Amino acid sequence: MTEKTANVATRIADELASCGVKLVASLPDNWLMDVIKTIERDDRFTHVPVNREESAIGLCSGAYMGAMGSAALMGASGFMTVIYALTKINYTYEIPLFLMATLRGAVGDHHKHHISNGLYLRPVLDAISMPYQIIEKPEDIGLISRCYHHTRTFSRPMVVLFTRDLLRRGH
Amino acid sequence: MNYVECFRAVARHRTDEIVITSAGNSGQAWWAATRDSVASFYLDASMSLSTMFASGLALAQRDLKIWAFMGDGAFAMNPGMLMVERQMNLPNLTHFLVSNRVYGATSNAGLPNAADNDYAAIARGFGLERVFELRDLKTLNRELPALKASNAPGHTFVVLEVEPFSDAEQKLEQPPFDGPELKFRFGRHVESRTGCDIFGYRI
Repeated sequence: MTEKTANVATRIADELASCGVKLVASLPDNWLMDVIKTIERDDRFTHVPVNREESAIGLCSGAYMGAMGSAALMGASGFMTVIYALTKINYTYEIPLFLMATLRGAVGDHHKHHISNGLYLRPVLDAISMPYQIIEKPEDIGLISRCYHHTRTFSRPMVVLFTRDLLRRGH
Repeated sequence: MNYVECFRAVARHRTDEIVITSAGNSGQAWWAATRDSVASFYLDASMSLSTMFASGLALAQRDLKIWAFMGDGAFAMNPGMLMVERQMNLPNLTHFLVSNRVYGATSNAGLPNAADNDYAAIARGFGLERVFELRDLKTLNRELPALKASNAPGHTFVVLEVEPFSDAEQKLEQPPFDGPELKFRFGRHVESRTGCDIFGYRI
């Protein structure tokens, strides 16, 4: 963890805490590891590593029905596996859900195996009319709060997508 | 055990537990047994989501006792959920695995390896300690009260071994709620039981 990436991770954690998020359910993505480690160490959160991304959707949706603020954190590939869970739970019952994912496959991603995410992640979001916000600069981390609160107004899910430039800061 | 009779028996032992059902037969059977429209959330989502949903609620509201039903068809799609449940180890959560050895919601379609699946052994393999198997009504009526009373210190996993729905039972009414209505009925009940604020405003 470099000083720059640690600073970004801390700012993301602070932003989540300012929204009242208590539960963070996560699966790893290499870009997210500093964020996950920061949240794991932070007593403001209950961090639950889950076995698959759909479990995070179920867990956070149930937490909402108990009035606990939550966030689901995952990679783009993991997000692509949760369309059923989102539409079946969060759209059918109109249960708010805040997600954070990586914008894999976009310019700057060095990994060829994420080309599919570059091609299809945003079209899939558009196909299910799910709003998203790309966050690529540290000064935009404050948008997390706006997006989180939008899920409560919208009564449906929304995702913020973190770029490599934000999370890796040149590494 | 007959599926619906099993649920009627479980319902008779219920006191103040909040219930989460899964898509298909468990929702139908619980609705038939209770007609509960406020303290039960009929999660019409299959593929293993009911107990994760219940875990989130149980984490958020530690003073509520939560019962979550899930068929073995749903369980087969995500048995790793037990890793998460074991890790969370919530003493106020009971996971009822309804083992009818078929995909009940889809006309009793065949479940892989149905005859040999040992759900209790799988649960123990993930480190669960409070694992119970109830195979007939007499055992259920004898053991469920004790099982409930000692629902500590950790999460509980109960296998209910039942027969698949008959053709007539497949026609049992589905819980007649649209999603948002159920969300508000159930959520208002949770608010009234706990004093928490789910929706951000009170009627």
